[in-house]
Amino acid sequence: MSNDSSRPAPAALLAIAGSLLGLAFGAVSTMDFAAHLDRKVHGVTCSFVPGLLANESGANACATALYSPYSSLFRRTVWGGVPIALLALGAFAFFLGFGVWLWRAKVVGVPQSVRIAFGALGLTPALASILMFTISVTKLGSVCKVCTGMYVASFLVAAAAALVLKGAIEEPDSGPPLLTTTLAVAALLGVATFTPGLVYAAVVPDFGTYVAGCGKLEKLEEKHNALLKLPTTSPTKKAMIFVDPLCPTCKAFHEQISGEGIFDRLDATVSLFPLDGACNWMIDSERPVHAGACVVSRAVICGEASQESRAVLEWAYEHQPELTAAGKVSPAKVKELIVARFSKTAACIDDPKTERRLHQMLQFAVENHIRVSTPQFYLDGQRLCDEDSDLGLSYALRRLAPEVLP
Amino acid sequence: MKNPMTLGLVTGVATLALMVGGVVSRVRAAETRLREPDRAQEAVAVADHAEEAYCTPAFKQVLQRVLNACGLVGQESRRGCQPGDVKTFASIDDDDFNALFTPLVKRGGIVMFEEGKEDVDEFARQFVEKKWNDRKGARYFFIVARASKSGTVDKNRSLSHRRANSVQYFLKEKTNDPDLDSQVGMLWLGSEFAQLGKDYCETWENSHAGKKCDTDAINRSAFVSWVDCRL
Repeated sequence: MSNDSSRPAPAALLAIAGSLLGLAFGAVSTMDFAAHLDRKVHGVTCSFVPGLLANESGANACATALYSPYSSLFRRTVWGGVPIALLALGAFAFFLGFGVWLWRAKVVGVPQSVRIAFGALGLTPALASILMFTISVTKLGSVCKVCTGMYVASFLVAAAAALVLKGAIEEPDSGPPLLTTTLAVAALLGVATFTPGLVYAAVVPDFGTYVAGCGKLEKLEEKHNALLKLPTTSPTKKAMIFVDPLCPTCKAFHEQISGEGIFDRLDATVSLFPLDGACNWMIDSERPVHAGACVVSRAVICGEASQESRAVLEWAYEHQPELTAAGKVSPAKVKELIVARFSKTAACIDDPKTERRLHQMLQFAVENHIRVSTPQFYLDGQRLCDEDSDLGLSYALRRLAPEVLP
Repeated sequence: MKNPMTLGLVTGVATLALMVGGVVSRVRAAETRLREPDRAQEAVAVADHAEEAYCTPAFKQVLQRVLNACGLVGQESRRGCQPGDVKTFASIDDDDFNALFTPLVKRGGIVMFEEGKEDVDEFARQFVEKKWNDRKGARYFFIVARASKSGTVDKNRSLSHRRANSVQYFLKEKTNDPDLDSQVGMLWLGSEFAQLGKDYCETWENSHAGKKCDTDAINRSAFVSWVDCRL
């Protein structure tokens, strides 16, 4: 009997375990997010056992989630936004306290109306998890391990809440009035949930001075009219984009600004900058960064004749893995893939005039002394810092060109 | 702590404080790093012109002197260099001077002129245009005009000068490029410096392909080429 009385009730155990798990995963996610406030490149933890494995650099599902617009709130006001994981931290801290209360009070020692309130509010993390899981699957196409950890934690807390609720509603009404109690518990949960976010927003450095500090284009026009205009639906601001069609970061950036409705508000000009030594003298031809990018770039240029440049570029982004694999075989293989989809480009791709135009674009990059990296994005000649091209995009655009934000 | 509610409250508040403290500490650490210069960013290469293996220090020295002395850099009022200048600034003998351009054999070519003429004929026009269009990553285009040894020294100096100008005028007319003057370097060597040997008829592409080529013919010419060197 003494063992039974000292052992935590299942509901308390679930609440405590779920909260601790949620705190652990929430802390990992928040710490990874906050590390990016130094505007440098960082790996993102993606593990079911945080701390056991080193942060993974490059692309992984957790990085996809972190850089997506769904990882934080108020991105236009706070650089990077306030990470949603912070809300989880506050909520799980609240449920941990509640779990300890349930444990020490052996559940039934907690007033019935409070248990009903907990039972109802304890389901909210699970509802939030269902929402975030749906976004992950439908919008991001992947589910990150750290996020999954938080989903599991939420369901443990929900299971605890359901057990508590079931027990409480079978009892006769007792304790303080239910409505008052529910409002009070909800208020406490709200305070706990939003406190970390408010503190975070208060201490985040001011990035306003950094946004416009990444240089300007020295020349806005290319004297041979070599640059490509990409059609957009409602252009409001001149934008110059240096891109490599086989560069994954270019693809991610294009998808981000397209997905957020920004691209179609740009008066977009593209200067192709393939990181492939076959045409770009700035890249070692023995060690091309993106072999085959010269052929794809010429195809994008060729698309202009049939007003398909944007279509070719977006198709190249979409089929980047196949084109990259073909590029490792031979330029002819890349051309074969392109011509199978855009037959009109066949003759133009190998035309010396197309090659010359591509070289003129590269010379334009030289005249502007841009960095040998892609993508590079300029608004009315003002460069968007690389550091502002993902997490800080909305914040930076609000300062550089608010009219492009939908 | 006997009161379960108090214990729960303290646990919740302490956890929240711990988490908030951790986040604030992480943000402050990021802020400190933010103020440090980013060495990775500083190390990123900047787009620049091509620099091929043939850009040896000796070659670049001559080119640099041509650019400085012949009007491309800083001296807007002057265009081109004449034989006396080349001898002075290049400090190099004829064979060594010609040898400097040997690596450009696949890149450049020789525009041929009729005896005593400086007219750029149709073949020469096509030839110059083809070479001009093949710029790739080069910064400077060089025109090195010559004259054969027939005739007086003064006449040949003047003739080679006109040949260099003819090529440059053609390019101006053809390209309408406002920056042409800052891209084209000209030398006119007359007949007294760095004459080409007959072997240049076979080894270098010229605008009179298939026509008779001898030592006189190959020197009635203007060598043209983009130069893939950073200077």
